[in-house]
This record gives sequence, C-alpha cells and structure tokens, in this order.
Amino acid sequence: MKNKATILIVEDEAAISNFITAVLNSNDYAVVRSNSGKEALSSTAGFSPDLILLDLGLPDIDGLEVLKQIRQWSDVPIIVVSARTNEKEKVEALDLGADDYITKPFGTSELLARVRTAIRHKMTANHQLIAESKVTIEEFQIDFSKRYVSVNQKEVHLTPIEYKIVQLLAKNQGKVLTLDYLSKEIWGPYTTENNALRVNMANIRRKIEKNPAEPHYILTEVGVGYRMKEE
Amino acid sequence: MDLSHKRPNPDELLRKIKLTEKKQTGKLKIFLGYSAGVGKTYAMLDDAKEQLKSGVDVVVGYVEPHTRPETLRLLEGLPAIEPQLINYKNMHLKEFDLEAALIRKPQLILVDELAHTNAVGKRNKKRYQDVEELINAGIDVYTTVNVQHIESLNDIIEEITKIPIRETVPDYIFDHADKVTLVDVDPEELLKRFGEGKIYRPERAVTAMQNFFTLDNLRLLREIALRKTTDIISQENLSESNMADKKLNSRFLVCVGPSPSSAKCIRWTARTADAFHAPWTALYVETPSSVKLADSAKSNIRNNMELAARLGAQQMTLNGYDIASTVAEYAKMLAITNIVVGKSRNKKTIYNLIKGNFEDKLIGLLPNTEIHIISDNDASKQQKKVDLNDIKQHLTFSWNDTLKMFSVWVAATLLSLGLRAMGVGDQNVIMVYILSVLVISRFTSGYIFGVTASIVSVLTFNFLFVEPYFTFSAIQPGYPITFLIMLLVALIVSAMMIRIKTQAGFAVAKERKTEILYEINKKLLVTRGLSNIIELTNQYFMKICERSVIFYSEDPINGQAGVFAQYATEENASFMQNPDEQAVAHWVFVNMKRAGYGTDTLMGAGAFYMPILSQYNVLGVIGISCQNQVSINHELRSFLRMVTSLVAMALERQILSDEQRKIMVESEKESMRSNLLRAISHDLRTPLTAILGASSAILENKKTMDESTHDKLVNGVKDNAQWLIRMVENLLFVTRINESSMKVVKVPEAVEEVIAEAVSRVRSQFNSANIHVKVPSELLMVPMDATLIEQVVINLLENAIKHSISDSPIELTVSTNENEAVFEVLDHGEGIREEELDRLFEGYTFQKEKSPDSSRGMGIGLSICRSIILAHNGKITAANQPNGGALFRFSLPLNGGINNEE
Repeated sequence: MKNKATILIVEDEAAISNFITAVLNSNDYAVVRSNSGKEALSSTAGFSPDLILLDLGLPDIDGLEVLKQIRQWSDVPIIVVSARTNEKEKVEALDLGADDYITKPFGTSELLARVRTAIRHKMTANHQLIAESKVTIEEFQIDFSKRYVSVNQKEVHLTPIEYKIVQLLAKNQGKVLTLDYLSKEIWGPYTTENNALRVNMANIRRKIEKNPAEPHYILTEVGVGYRMKEE
Repeated sequence: MDLSHKRPNPDELLRKIKLTEKKQTGKLKIFLGYSAGVGKTYAMLDDAKEQLKSGVDVVVGYVEPHTRPETLRLLEGLPAIEPQLINYKNMHLKEFDLEAALIRKPQLILVDELAHTNAVGKRNKKRYQDVEELINAGIDVYTTVNVQHIESLNDIIEEITKIPIRETVPDYIFDHADKVTLVDVDPEELLKRFGEGKIYRPERAVTAMQNFFTLDNLRLLREIALRKTTDIISQENLSESNMADKKLNSRFLVCVGPSPSSAKCIRWTARTADAFHAPWTALYVETPSSVKLADSAKSNIRNNMELAARLGAQQMTLNGYDIASTVAEYAKMLAITNIVVGKSRNKKTIYNLIKGNFEDKLIGLLPNTEIHIISDNDASKQQKKVDLNDIKQHLTFSWNDTLKMFSVWVAATLLSLGLRAMGVGDQNVIMVYILSVLVISRFTSGYIFGVTASIVSVLTFNFLFVEPYFTFSAIQPGYPITFLIMLLVALIVSAMMIRIKTQAGFAVAKERKTEILYEINKKLLVTRGLSNIIELTNQYFMKICERSVIFYSEDPINGQAGVFAQYATEENASFMQNPDEQAVAHWVFVNMKRAGYGTDTLMGAGAFYMPILSQYNVLGVIGISCQNQVSINHELRSFLRMVTSLVAMALERQILSDEQRKIMVESEKESMRSNLLRAISHDLRTPLTAILGASSAILENKKTMDESTHDKLVNGVKDNAQWLIRMVENLLFVTRINESSMKVVKVPEAVEEVIAEAVSRVRSQFNSANIHVKVPSELLMVPMDATLIEQVVINLLENAIKHSISDSPIELTVSTNENEAVFEVLDHGEGIREEELDRLFEGYTFQKEKSPDSSRGMGIGLSICRSIILAHNGKITAANQPNGGALFRFSLPLNGGINNEE
C-alpha cells in the first residue's frame, strides 16, 4: 500500500484551513492542522510531516521566525503562504530556506501543483537520484550532458551565462529562484548584478519564447525571481 | 447680591493656566532683610537644608564668602557649583557661574545677594538678570536682598542713611517673586551682634557703627522693610481675589525731565501709585530746545525713562513746544487724576516773572487735576546750565545766513531809496524794513539774524531816511517809539518763525516715521510667505538703521541659520552668522528680551538683537550689526519696536494662514477618504449580497436543486469572490503610496516582465480573454514600483475585457519615445460615453449620479490607476477611437521623473 504523504497546515484562519484540508484530503494527502506558531513547531517534531504549508501571519510567533526555527534542524519542504503585496516578505522567506511560496488568494490547482513540485524535489534530494540528463517542457528541451537547448527541435544558441541561468532554472523546475540567488550562483557571492541578470533573461526570452511579453517557459515573479514552468 | 462681576472670567483663568503651563518657570523666594547681619543667608541655607532633606535637588549657586561661621557650617553638606574666577584689573573676582548652573539644572538653586553687579565680561550686568534666566529655565531660586536695594525705596533710604546705594533691584522682581520672607531681628540685638564682631571684623565695625549702624537708622530701615513686606502680602491678597478690581479711577502721570533728580519724582510716583494700585505713566515732552540738549542730559532722560519702565510705568514721549499745554492735553486725553512734577526753587528774576511758571500754567489748564510738587533742589544748577546751552544753541553763527541777511538788507535799502526818490512817505519805508526783517527771520536759523537785522534796519532807517540825514540822531519826537516798535516786531516775528520752523521740523520727522511705518504695513499686508516677509523686514531694517541685519525665524539652537542681509556700504558683517552671535539670538528667543551690544545682557556681542513678540510668543529675532561700535540709540530702538510689532502682526497672520491651509488640506483628505469609503462600501455590498444569496440558496435547497442551477450558483459565488479580492488588492495598493508626499519607491524594472505577469494573471481569471501583447524588441528598463504598475495594467485589461464584445481582441502595446515609456490598452468595445470621459479617473465621484445598482464599474480601479501613475510622475489618459472602442494610455518617465521633481 502506498504511504500517504503527510502535510502540516499552519494557518490560524479556520475557513482557509478547512478548505485546504478538503482539497488535500480529496487528493490523497494526510493532513495535520495547527493554528499557531508554537503548535506548528511541536507538530513538526511530533508528526515529521512530508511538507509544511506555512502561513506567515500567525497570532503568536512571526511566521518567518517559525520558518527559521524549523530550518535549524529539519529540511522538510516548506511552502510559505503570503499576501501578494508583500514581495519583500516572500524573498526573505525564500532566503531563509522556504522551498516555495504561494500567494493568497490561490486556486486549488495552483496549490496542488506547488505541493506536488515540493514533494518531488524532496524525493530527488533524498534518494540521491542522478539528476535527469534531460528536461523537456512542451516544445522546449534542455540536455545537460550535451549542453544542448532546443525549441521546436531547432537548436537555440545561448551564451555561457545564458545557458547557466537556463540550466539552473531547469534543474529547479517549478521552483521559484530569487534574483539574488541566481546572481550569486552565476556571478559569485559579491555581485550586485541584478541588472545583468535581467538583461540576460531578456535575451534568453527572445531566443526561446514566441513573445517575450507572454513567456511560456520561464515565468517572472515580479519583485521575487524566476520560475521555470513544469510539464 | 450680585457677585457676577467679581467672578473671574473662566476664559481668562484658562488662558492664565495655559500660560503657566506652557512655560515651566521656576519659583523665586526672596529672603528680605533690613540690614546686613540680620541672618538672611542663614535663613536661606536653613530652608535649603530642609528642602534637601525632603529630597529636593538643591545646589548652592553662590554664597558671599564673608559669611559668618555659623552660616558657613550650614553650607557643609550642600552641593555647590564652583564660582567662576574672573580676572578684572588684576583683581581676582569670584562670580556666580550662570552657565554651569543652567547646565547642571537643579530643582532649586541658592544665589546670595540679588542686588550684586556682575564683573565685566559676564553675560549679564546684574545678578537679578541671572536669577531671571534661572527662573525662565524652570529652576527654583532662593535669594537674599536688603531693603535698601529695592529700586523704588532707594532714595528714601539714601536720605535716611546718607549713604548712596548704587546697586538696586527693580521692583518687578519682587512682584514676580512667589514668596518674600522677611528675616527680622530686633535692632538692639543686631547692634549687639555687631558689637561682638559677628558681622564685620572689629576694625571695620567701628567706622560702620558710626556711619550706618545707628539705632535710629536701623529702626527706620526695619520699619521700611516691614512695610514693604506688608505691601507685598496685601498685594498678593488683592491679586488673588481679583486683579481687575484695580482702582482704575486714579491714574498718575509723572513729568520726566533731563535732571537726574527727576528720578526722585519717578520713585515717589511709583510708590504712591503702588499704594493706590493705580496705573501710572512717565511722560517726557520733547521741545525744540531739547533736541539740542547736551549728550549728558539726553542720557539722563533715557536713564530716567528706563528707571520708570523698571518701576512699572508706561512710557510716553511727546513732542510739543510748550511743555505745560502738551502735558495738559495728554492728561485730559488719558483722564489722568494726579500729575507729579519736580520743582526747584526759582530765583526771582524778571525772566521768570514774564515766563510764568510751569506749575501755575498746568493748574490753569487742568483745574480738576491734582498736582503734586516734589522739591527738587539739586536741579537748579543743572537746569541753568541747560538753559545757557539752550541760548547758545540759538546764537550759532553761520556765514551763509549772514550773507542772506546782508543781501536782503541791501535790497530793502535800495528799494527804500527808490521809494524816497519817488516821494512816497516814510511809513512805507518802515514797512519795507519790517518786511525785510520778516524775510530774514524766515530764511535764517536762530534769533541772532532776525534781531541783528531789526537793529540794523532801525539804524539804517535812522541814518538814511530820518532827518537829519546821515546821522543817528532823530529830531522828530515820535521816532524812538517807531524804532522800538520795529525792534519788537522783528523780535516777535523771528521768535514765531523759529517756533514754526522747529514744529515743522518735528512734523516732518514724525511724518517720515509714520510714512515708513505706513509703507511697511502696506507692503507687509500684501506679502505672503515667510521668506518674503523676512526679506522685506530685512530690507526695511537695513534702510532704517543703515546697517547689516540678520533675521531668525526659528531658534538657532536647532541649527536653523538666520536670513542675513549685508548693508551695501558697510564692511562685511558676516560675523553675525557665527555660533557666538547665534547664541545671543538663542538667548533672546528664550528670554524674550533684547540683548547684545548696547544692552545689559551679553554686551560682548557684535550686534544688537531684539525679539519680535506677539502675546508671550517670540515669533522671531532680528539682529542689527554694531561692528562700528555704535550702539542703537533709544529713539531708534523705540521706532524699531514699532516696526517689529508690525512684523509680528504679519508673521502671526502668516502662521494663521499656514495653519488654516493645513486644516483645509486635512479636511479635503478627510472628505476624499469618506467618499472613498462610501463608494467602497457600496461596491462591496453588491457582490456580498450575491454570494450570501447564492450560498444560502444552495444550502436550503440542496435536495430540490438540479445540478446546472447548483453549478451556476457556485460559479456566481466564485466570480463575486474573485471580484472582491481584486477590489481589496487594489485598495491595499493605495496604502503603498506615501500619503504625505504621494511618492513611491522606484527601482528599474524590465517592462516585459511586469507586463507578462499582469497578462498571465488576467488570463488565469478570464480564460476566454483574447489579449495581444506587443513590447519593444529591446529590453526596456523603467524605474517603477513593479507591483503597482502591474496592478495598473491588470485594472486596464480587466476594464477592457468588461467593455469588450465577447472575444474581440484587446491590444496591449508598449513603446518608447524620447524620455518616456508609453503603455496603451485598446479594446473594440462600446467605447466610453462622452459625459463620462472627463471624470473617468475620478472614479467613485461620477458613480454617485448613476443609479446605485448599475454595473459595479471599475470606478475605483481607474482612480487607483491614476493615483499610481501620478505617484510615478506619469500621465494617464483615456479616449475613444474613431472606429469604436476605448484607448487607455499611460506613460512613465524613463529617468524616473527626476526632471519633474524639484
């Protein structure tokens, strides 16, 4: 029998908690609920969930603080639930080790997609699987071993830096990578080259997307970072 | 019984309370004694010890070092501020260190000897000024003083003891003191103490005993001290019950003259007026002769007037030719009941007989007023000197005037010779000469030329026109009378002329002052804005004083520099912007009194500073350069005071109008906010009603409802909820715009990324939307708050979708021109109604006119768009296209709007 994945929902609003529980239950996940930061910390230890959905606005402890404490001893995937107006908070949460975030209000499909991605990433990391040598998203394909990128079976010529960016995004497919993280990965820890990243990204888009203003493969999270679409 | 008039006006009381609350001032307690050695310092220290025990932060500021051993013992255990050592003419003087005391800021400070005069180089001339500063700084002060130092009692005590006392304390210090404690001891006991050498060392005691410490003297002094204390207490009682009951029916007027003994009259009036609780005025009448007074006399007048002010008089200076009539007129105008004049014994001279005396004239003019005459014996000498001076002034000699006199005389003589040749009679010749004397008196200054001309005319007439010709003897008996009349006419005419001329001179000077005041007033009335008022004030002060000026509208202690204006012909006066000078201005702000060069406070400064006062507030301080070591004279000062009162009015008006504007902006904001709230609550109600209705329909009709109805209802709930969320998010964005500056934090963002996210968001909600996006082929970075601009794009797209016909395409285009990025959203829908076009972005306002249940428009959405774009220094417009459909266009400056910002 397949073991159900356990998800800890940390949310103080009963209505939202109810609806998330309903959605997750009907999609075959086990759910543990807690409505405060303290409870969340003890539940994390007690149930060792496979994923935590963490709302940042909690009545007792700041959500970011809960995140920090959990990250001290556990690398359980954490998806942060946050309001859209607050990009700084999102970036901060990601920098503190959150795996992803989801913006209120969200639909069921969006929620389920994020949950699936986060759990899959955890599996990959846990089982030490050799990363797939290829990632294919619709017409887009990247072959890491050959350093080959193509759209519609036509080769796309990327500069080394552009390739590095695409590679990073593809390896973290479905996950948002912050501007800061990307810059540091590519230009080293002391860079302040956010603009260079944007320029490169604009060039990449012009090479792989049909319309750079309606990107299909690499999506922008304004003020936060970039995310590669999942199949 | 009607007590209503006795009850204090509540507003008045409130104002008083507010005043006391506004500035935390310290309390003053004075230990008053009638002589050295009564134990004032002892009593003060004793009291201070008690205070220290009860936990008050007491500090000894200064205690005279000659104090007795018992007293010195009391000093032990009291914290003290080290006295300042000052070197003055090779003497080491110990002085109270005011600065240290102000920095230390204890609750209570002891400062001995209130009447002390500070050493040169200290900030203040007198110790009582130090004490005033301490009180202003909110520090309680204990101090000691002997009764002979009280200004108004000064002369009486001098008469009793025959020892002149130079160091005095103005009476208002006593009036402002919270407590006056009399330290009393029996005079015989005091003499005993004295004999035991407890007060002075024995060798000095002998001389002192002979001069001052006699039983009679001490008894008298004691009586005065007791009486003064009683006065103060009874006054306290009075002021507590009701000050308004002051006996306004009697009013005193004292005539001030240049004689130093006028001071005696002033003191007498002060005491008497005080006893009657009556207001009093010190009046000085400026006459033509007083303009030419010696400098010493002028400074005497100034000193006397200042003394009167210190004693609480209202000061008044009038111009007039005749002192008695001017005084009488003024007294009638103010309903003065008592007039005080000083009088010296006149020598019985013919001149005095003719002139008539001042008091008699006054009595004649004011039969109903009481006249008090204070004997004034020292004055006669001084007065005579002044008179001599007066005469001398009229006898000044001028070549120019001599020439004038000579030419008029020649002309008159020639005319007379002509008349005689024509055979016209002697009487006409006389007329010609009288005319010439008139003309000469008119065009020359002083008596001398008129008189000389009349004598010369008589002689010429005698010599040339009276038989025997060419001799000075007259045959006809009537001629001597003719001569005499001619002489008298000439004298009277020249005297009259002089009077008219001087009065005209006064009038001109006065006119000029009034004119300047009028001009300033007129200009200030039309001047708006603080900086303009300051500039204008500086200009006029420069013009009036012919010196450089500096204007502080705020206390420079907070780092605000004054507005400095350099007078063109003066050497560089920028020293006025030094921290040292600013400190003086700061002092003026705090103490509300003038200071700097030529005053009693901070005399070392290079400029004279005066406050611009308005009802207990310092609105500003103006400094006038005195770098040429010439102080501002009394007359100019009082004129400047008049000017500052005008400036104060203008500043006050400015402050009021600023406040009013602030209130208006506030209320406008408030009305905007309430409009918004009204619109929102209306807009929220509609979808909420729909949600409520649909959900309850589902719950209540679970069994009977078919699936398609059910789905329809659920979809309705979803749509409405989505709309609500968009609405709330829109509103949240508004909070990102800084409320006061209406500005946002901008960082360069890639336009295509922002557009991409906006489009994908809209797509996720409106699946059927047919949006065509076009961005420049080059990467376009624009400074913006990306989330806000994204919201604008979303709002415009949603608006377009709402007004489009089914799936007609919507075009979103971004282009650039020289210095801005232009965003366009274009639909092929019904377009915008003409009447709405103007007020489209005002959002909720036009909706009010429509029926409240019309489609929930994007009113708020569009108005939020406008706010966001304006906060980015951009522009947003809406128009209809010729072939149908609406076009919304907004632009953002590429440089972040740096040019548009100031």
